Amino acid sequence: MFHLPTVQFTEEQEQFRLEVRAFLQQELANGTFTPKCDSWLSGDDPKFSKLIGKKGWIGITWPKKYGGQERSTIDRYILTEEFLAIGAPVAAHWFADRQTGPLLLRYGTEEQRQFFLPQIVNGECYFGIGLSEPNSGSDLASVSTRAEKVEGGWIVNGQKIWTSNAHLCHYMVTLVRTSPFDGKNKHAGMSQLIVDLQADGITVVPIKFLTGEHHYNEVFFENVFVPDNMVVGAIGNGWAQGLAELAFERSGPERILSTFPLLDELIQKLKYQNNREGLKQASKVVARLWSLRNLSIGVAQLLESGEGDDVSIPAALVKALGTKFEQSIPEITRLLVQTYPTLDAQRKIDRLMAESILHAPGFTIRGGTSEVLYGVVAKGVVAQ
Amino acid sequence: MSDMKDMIVDVVERMLKENVDKDLVDTVEQGRWAPEVWNMFKENEITAVAITEDNGGAGGDLEDLLNIVRLTGKYAAPIPFTETTLANYLLELTNLQVKDDLATYMLSADQAYTLVNGKLTGEASQIPWARHSKYLVTLAESVEGIHLVEVDLKQAEITPGTNLASEPRDTVKFNNLDISQVSVVLSPDHIRTMKTLETAFQLARMTGAIDKINDLTVQYTKEREQFGRPIHRFQLVQQHIVQLAGETVVALAAFNNVTDALLAHCQNNETAYARIRFEEIIQTIATTSHQVHAAIGTTHEHSLHQYTRRLWSWRDEGTNISYWTDFVATQLLENSGDSLWAYLTETKIPTTIEGVIFNG
Repeated sequence: MFHLPTVQFTEEQEQFRLEVRAFLQQELANGTFTPKCDSWLSGDDPKFSKLIGKKGWIGITWPKKYGGQERSTIDRYILTEEFLAIGAPVAAHWFADRQTGPLLLRYGTEEQRQFFLPQIVNGECYFGIGLSEPNSGSDLASVSTRAEKVEGGWIVNGQKIWTSNAHLCHYMVTLVRTSPFDGKNKHAGMSQLIVDLQADGITVVPIKFLTGEHHYNEVFFENVFVPDNMVVGAIGNGWAQGLAELAFERSGPERILSTFPLLDELIQKLKYQNNREGLKQASKVVARLWSLRNLSIGVAQLLESGEGDDVSIPAALVKALGTKFEQSIPEITRLLVQTYPTLDAQRKIDRLMAESILHAPGFTIRGGTSEVLYGVVAKGVVAQ
Repeated sequence: MSDMKDMIVDVVERMLKENVDKDLVDTVEQGRWAPEVWNMFKENEITAVAITEDNGGAGGDLEDLLNIVRLTGKYAAPIPFTETTLANYLLELTNLQVKDDLATYMLSADQAYTLVNGKLTGEASQIPWARHSKYLVTLAESVEGIHLVEVDLKQAEITPGTNLASEPRDTVKFNNLDISQVSVVLSPDHIRTMKTLETAFQLARMTGAIDKINDLTVQYTKEREQFGRPIHRFQLVQQHIVQLAGETVVALAAFNNVTDALLAHCQNNETAYARIRFEEIIQTIATTSHQVHAAIGTTHEHSLHQYTRRLWSWRDEGTNISYWTDFVATQLLENSGDSLWAYLTETKIPTTIEGVIFNG
């Protein structure tokens, strides 16, 4: 069975947690933001992103020469937990911080790093992730958006879909075919390009979320020119580069804590009611959360120690288990306290309930459906 | 962590693998046990791990000991290893003399014996392995309060009983019997530390059994063929495999975090969370492993039941889930100002178990 390391936070790390928490509580008291469930996807607020950019809290693990702080993965883990636990609006810079930065540090050119990373760190430059297409959801190897070589760059044609916050992003890391589909080697011939979303030939069309809110989009490419210096890594290596990103994407605290603000509010209510029986039931949820955190932090520690290749299966497992947990919180809450969920409710718990119920279906779909993850884990277990 | 850990764990695992097979585990059903395995452990000083050398111990720390307990669970070894080592650990913790023979324990305050003028009276049930043990380490109540006492079982009236897995769970009656050793009056914190330890030992052997059930089941899905292919190729079976893997990884990680927390903080919440979470783990592991094994897994001939029956028994024994859900509820009520997040992530004051001797 997979062995995951345990992590005991150092005194400096505990101090850092308290520092972040004190800052966020102060900003909350100042009215800078309203806590939300699922704030890493739906809480987009460029002003807030710039504010925490000033604190040095974006790209915190990156080299100092690009504006980072060279802190550990565990420090970043703590920071992310504090943002999510309080429901802070971190969506605008989320993907740039979580995925694009690490991708460029691993595969990008020096020019790309020097150009993009300092802007990301300042909370001024946002990235979308262009993977899914109308006919390529779970079966990502079938993407058909194509790039053709021309003098000085590439001409892109095709369409991406479900791109979170593309309407707010400046760029999108886009997975495209740079050579025709080969049925014998379907993962070959794909590449990652950084596409400027302001470029000629790009059309961003909103897809309304079931609440009517605007989070994700369709992005159309019509003869969009992408210069050679915006190719990430090697042409044809896009699939392998994308896979390396997945471990980072899959197992973070955002796969456990999307509905934490609701759980916190539930406990407050039960305490206020002096409801011992309710708290005993809720202690089971707290125990589940603790046990998932162990796994997620264990994977973060493995990523830190660089054993990235062995980590993809436990990372997939963390996502499958964690998202199911986040999904369960509103269902448990409504059995322990009376709620009347609506998005514009006066009572905090009613609002958080509404956000949790309505966003919950997406948790086990985005970033790899549970069914795909189950397949990955089962094959990994049988192969051991 | 002790440097010895990997070495001890390897040695013990080899011993158990070579010496404990299905037939030997079955002998508990006839009221027998495995003294030859016990003697091997004793000769190799495995029964004295985590006892200080001054008290005749073999060195090693609590993490080493709990990992050995985990292995005895993984092989369903029919020896009172958990019982003897926990009894001795409790004796050392309360500054009493450690015993050099089979011992068992009783930490249920509702069943505490009555202690008057150094004599013990009363009856307690579900005491593991009492009929085979020489000594009992138990809670006893005097007019001053609750103590830990050690008493010779020779003169006790023992009525044999068993749990669902046919392991000895006996009723032990004393009538004004002399005790050998008594601790100072225990505070509620002392008692909670003891219950934390008891729970950690239980979690250790449960983790071993869970790990084994997962191994057996994955292996079975590779060997068993239906419709012309091994059953792990079917997606609905894969879903079972993932559930088992998930709960097993959660159990192993929870166990490792509990041992870490025990070494760092004698008062910790990790043990409570883990014990509460294990309730769901056991339910899922037992149901799913039997479903995957189908009919063959329900036979006495197959070894699966040796582990599922133990889990179904162990989860109800000693300090169980109700104690810990009540404990967490109480803590939440007492921390009325703080958010759940602050409670979950609070910095703990280091007081290691080893550093706590209850000598008044």
